[in-house]
Amino acid sequence: MNSAEQGLLGPAHGIAAAVRSREVSALAVTQAALQRVQATDSQVNAFTQVTSQRAVAQATALDQRIAAGDSATLALPLLGVPFAVKNLFDIQGLTTLAGSKIERGRPAATHDAVLVQRLQAAGAVLVGALNMDEYAYGFTTENTHYGPSRNPHDPTRIAGGSSGGSAVAVAAGQVPLTLGSDTNGSIRVPASLCGVFGLKPTFGRLPRTGSYPFVANLDHVGPFARSVRDLALSYDAMQGFDAGCAASVPRPIEPTLHTLGDISGLRIGVLGGWFFDMALPEARAAVDTVARALGAHISVVWPGVAAARAAAFLITNAESSALHLPDLKTRAADFEPLSRDRFLAGALLPAVWVAQAQRVRRQFARQVAASFADVDVLIAPATPCAAPTIGTEWMEINGQRLPSRASMGLLTQPVSCIGLPVCSVPVWGAHPTLPLGVQLIAAPWREDRVLAVAAALENAGVVRAPVAALQ
Amino acid sequence: MDSQTIEQHVDTTAALIGLAIAPEYRDGVLRFFGIAAGMAALVMAQALETSDEPAALFVPVSAPASR
Repeated sequence: MNSAEQGLLGPAHGIAAAVRSREVSALAVTQAALQRVQATDSQVNAFTQVTSQRAVAQATALDQRIAAGDSATLALPLLGVPFAVKNLFDIQGLTTLAGSKIERGRPAATHDAVLVQRLQAAGAVLVGALNMDEYAYGFTTENTHYGPSRNPHDPTRIAGGSSGGSAVAVAAGQVPLTLGSDTNGSIRVPASLCGVFGLKPTFGRLPRTGSYPFVANLDHVGPFARSVRDLALSYDAMQGFDAGCAASVPRPIEPTLHTLGDISGLRIGVLGGWFFDMALPEARAAVDTVARALGAHISVVWPGVAAARAAAFLITNAESSALHLPDLKTRAADFEPLSRDRFLAGALLPAVWVAQAQRVRRQFARQVAASFADVDVLIAPATPCAAPTIGTEWMEINGQRLPSRASMGLLTQPVSCIGLPVCSVPVWGAHPTLPLGVQLIAAPWREDRVLAVAAALENAGVVRAPVAALQ
Repeated sequence: MDSQTIEQHVDTTAALIGLAIAPEYRDGVLRFFGIAAGMAALVMAQALETSDEPAALFVPVSAPASR
């Protein structure tokens, strides 16, 4: 294995340092990523499109600027770091698939999504687009059109979704950094099941401009990585208002990198109630591991979690169905069979259900905000269990027989419903062979706190994201 | 909500909005509508104050700069 191939399996910040010090060229790292995708993707099915030409051209240009001693280039935080994005982000010259068959016939994107532009401006090199549940409506990435993404730690199991390819590509060591979206858990669920770090920032923090919408009222975008420092580097590089996104909030950029690992004075609690009841023993064990390491003794129970989750369900169902109604009317057969009937049903919901759901959401947000007067970071499982096998239909939780696919989001949905920032951190040892994610949750706009705690756990060796041992 | 009420609502509303539901999808649609109805029961049972305004609030769109 040469130094570029070795570096690719390490963190993004290590790659940037190596490129900066000219130990390795951006082109060599890019080629190593492209070769690893080619060598491994048949096992995990993370990529739907590979942008080889573009990546080689961009890496070559970076190397030329480095060779010329360009100081601005050398200062780029993600210099020469290969990355890939869920295929709902626009990539100039490619059709944005959003996991669907229907979108294949649409024109190619004329611009990159804003977050793709920002990562590229930070020195990162785009190598492709990643598999997902169709239109982001799912928690498993068992995509009928493009095949299921497979969990790199056990390819017979699901990757989680809807940003399944984004978690898989990082866990498989194909790239050290990816982007996904999270409406009800679509960053945190695959991060949990594939054993990588994922950040869902506060609603409105990162602009969605140039990404295919699912539920405009709930959609978030954010990064996956194998190190917390990489999450912080990329998140800091992507912050900033953009007028093209209706949800983008005009806040100043609030960097997180300099406070990583500093948890002095932070009050850390454990979420009980729903977040305990709806978790299997392995997920509870993962929470215990993190809570013990942090000395978290405060127990917090939020009121009305089941109603908040139901509100998110209804808003999602109605709003996404309205978005796709023209296609549901004319070409329902072209939709993903696993979500088509749910889309059709969502078009028929009484308006009062959805209006009340938006009011319940506000009430829940106010109640939860009050709880943060006494605590700074809360711990909860990210998924009820480790990754089920592909095709699993049912599971039992808390004495109830529940549909497996929808249940993967039981513990994430109430949190994204009110837009709180969450870092999902991977815990090993709670399940005999597989990782499980734990959510670190803070009050709105306190991404610095969840990343600080995540880094402290990583520094202590409590959480980690190893590259999967593929064949 | 009983199954007959769900069927009536689904058929009537689908006709109202011009959404033809193919026979092979009908059972699935009824099942998912039933799941949504269960979610709605939780939401509609929640006691709210008049101050609990909808979370989705309109934000005016500023005019572009003069040309």
